[in-house]
Amino acid sequence: MSSAASTTTTPGGRRRLLRGRVGRFHRGWRRALVDTAYILTGFALSLAWWVLLVTLIATGAGMVVTLVGIPILTATMYLWTRIAETERWRARRMLGLDVPSPYGAIEAGGFLALVFEPRVVWARMKDPAVWRDLVYLLVVFFPLAIATFCIAVSAWAVGVGLVAQPFTYWTGAGLQFGESHRVDTLPESLACLVAGLLVLLVLPWVIGLLAAVHAWTVRSLLGPRQSERVEQLTRQRTEAVDAAVAERRRIERDLHDGAQQRLTALAMGLGRARAKLDSDPEAARELVEQAHEDAKQALAELRNLARGIHPAILTDRGLDAALSHLAARSPVPVEISVEIADRPSPAVESTAYFVVAEALTNAAKHSAARSIRARVWRFDATLLVEVVDDGVGGAAIEPGGGLEGLTTRVATIDGTLSISSPAGGPTVVRAELPCVS
Amino acid sequence: MRVVIAEDSVLLREGLSRLLADEGIEVVEGVGDGDELLAAVARQRPDLAIVDVRMPPTHTDEGLRAAIEARSRAPELAILVLSQYVEERYASDLLAAGGAGIGYLLKERVADVGEFVDSVRRVAEGGTAFDPEVVAQLMGRRRRNDPLSELTPREREVLTLMAEGLSNNAIAKRLWLTVGAVEKHIGSIFARLGLLPGDDENRRVRAVLTYLEGVRG
Repeated sequence: MSSAASTTTTPGGRRRLLRGRVGRFHRGWRRALVDTAYILTGFALSLAWWVLLVTLIATGAGMVVTLVGIPILTATMYLWTRIAETERWRARRMLGLDVPSPYGAIEAGGFLALVFEPRVVWARMKDPAVWRDLVYLLVVFFPLAIATFCIAVSAWAVGVGLVAQPFTYWTGAGLQFGESHRVDTLPESLACLVAGLLVLLVLPWVIGLLAAVHAWTVRSLLGPRQSERVEQLTRQRTEAVDAAVAERRRIERDLHDGAQQRLTALAMGLGRARAKLDSDPEAARELVEQAHEDAKQALAELRNLARGIHPAILTDRGLDAALSHLAARSPVPVEISVEIADRPSPAVESTAYFVVAEALTNAAKHSAARSIRARVWRFDATLLVEVVDDGVGGAAIEPGGGLEGLTTRVATIDGTLSISSPAGGPTVVRAELPCVS
Repeated sequence: MRVVIAEDSVLLREGLSRLLADEGIEVVEGVGDGDELLAAVARQRPDLAIVDVRMPPTHTDEGLRAAIEARSRAPELAILVLSQYVEERYASDLLAAGGAGIGYLLKERVADVGEFVDSVRRVAEGGTAFDPEVVAQLMGRRRRNDPLSELTPREREVLTLMAEGLSNNAIAKRLWLTVGAVEKHIGSIFARLGLLPGDDENRRVRAVLTYLEGVRG
């Protein structure tokens, strides 16, 4: 429709055409301002990151022989991945770039485990994305930021300086060109004004070009590689399948050890009662009573099992209601806050539910916490789930444990789970679940 | 009759003990896993071991394996295996262990106290008790040129009950027939399947089961 309108010559069409141009010009300027902000802050940050990393790496490497250097280096490694995350975040917010975290391993654990645990450190060392981060921060980002900073600042200075000539003409502080010529006549300063306006007109394109170079380096060095992404997806899918099989086995076990035994005992009791009905009615009555108890127990066990597979209230009423129910059943007082306007997809919703459920179970079992806070909120296209307890900490992901199952569960919907649980507490379990809308 | 029960659910173990005690069968020991079963059999020298297939530590088939092991150490020990599910493969393993006094029943059969106790007695006396579900699995297997398809419906019923381990008298009672009629059917079945009739009921059951087992695939 709009393209059709812009090719007509009716007055309305012209107005619309004009409005479209003005709108695009506005947007171009807004973009240019944000891009400039990105370039200016990038200059300061790149310098800071560069100095920080070079210092730490030099210190660590210098002290490797005394062994103190090694923890410094592993900590530096963790640090630069966090810095790269910040840069990704900046590129997402300011350049509008879609650049997800490229790391293969899911990171979880307390700060100490993240930085010093050999398994985690080794996984990080094997991850090519981590090394691309370093190349970006030391070799690419710093020089590029200096160059783009100089060009951007010059461009702005020339444009604004020239436009300002008619005003400085009256104050007598006109531009000095070379050694001999100063802009000191009105026509000259007006010519400068025109030249300045032309510079400012092309400025958005110049700045845009600089931002595009930044965007390109961020995307190619800080973003995930296609092949790595495929690998990651393949691994996640295998893990998801394994987890599903393990889950079904667990359900079968629960059924077998719980309700099935209970019902067998119940049937056996009733069988005995029937055999005694005539010969020993009193004993038969007792057996029937016992069978009645068994039946009620079996029902309770089945109900709990069904809830563990998928809580019906979650489907009916959503997260808030389902989490309130969890909170009511928790032996430790739980404060729940759910701040989401629309319901996320069922997969995200149930993952969020089980993150809270598992965190509450763990807190009640191991942490000796006195209170727990569970919060669910939405930030852009991400659902964030955070459970904090005031217990003793020390929670870790163990093979075959509940938290490991949870990590897999979260990874299958492309989310990340992080656990910070230093000795002495508090324990923070946090999941970031992308909501595809 | 002296019985050892191996069953990891205390609830069922106690229930079984009481049920058998009601019927005048003495339960001398109740244990919770395969190793304890072997020890208890060595200690108590029971006539019969009632064994749950699935027990700790692996919760797969350690009960069955322990029972077969116990049998090889004490050949006169009768074994009645209880299981939550019917697995024809378990039945074959038991048959392969050889000897008399073998039973394999679904756990839920304990609900029919009379029939269950009959099975317990039969197995303890060297007979056979195979769960109708197991026999149905064996009978239900379709194969080419199936000799079973030549049997009359009545003969199939008789064959099924024979495979479950029932005696001629019991079959006659179950099907409302005379013992003579049952014997006639059995003769005809053996002729059609090409089996050799024997006097020993136990050997007969074994022949039938082996036949059903053997024509797999």
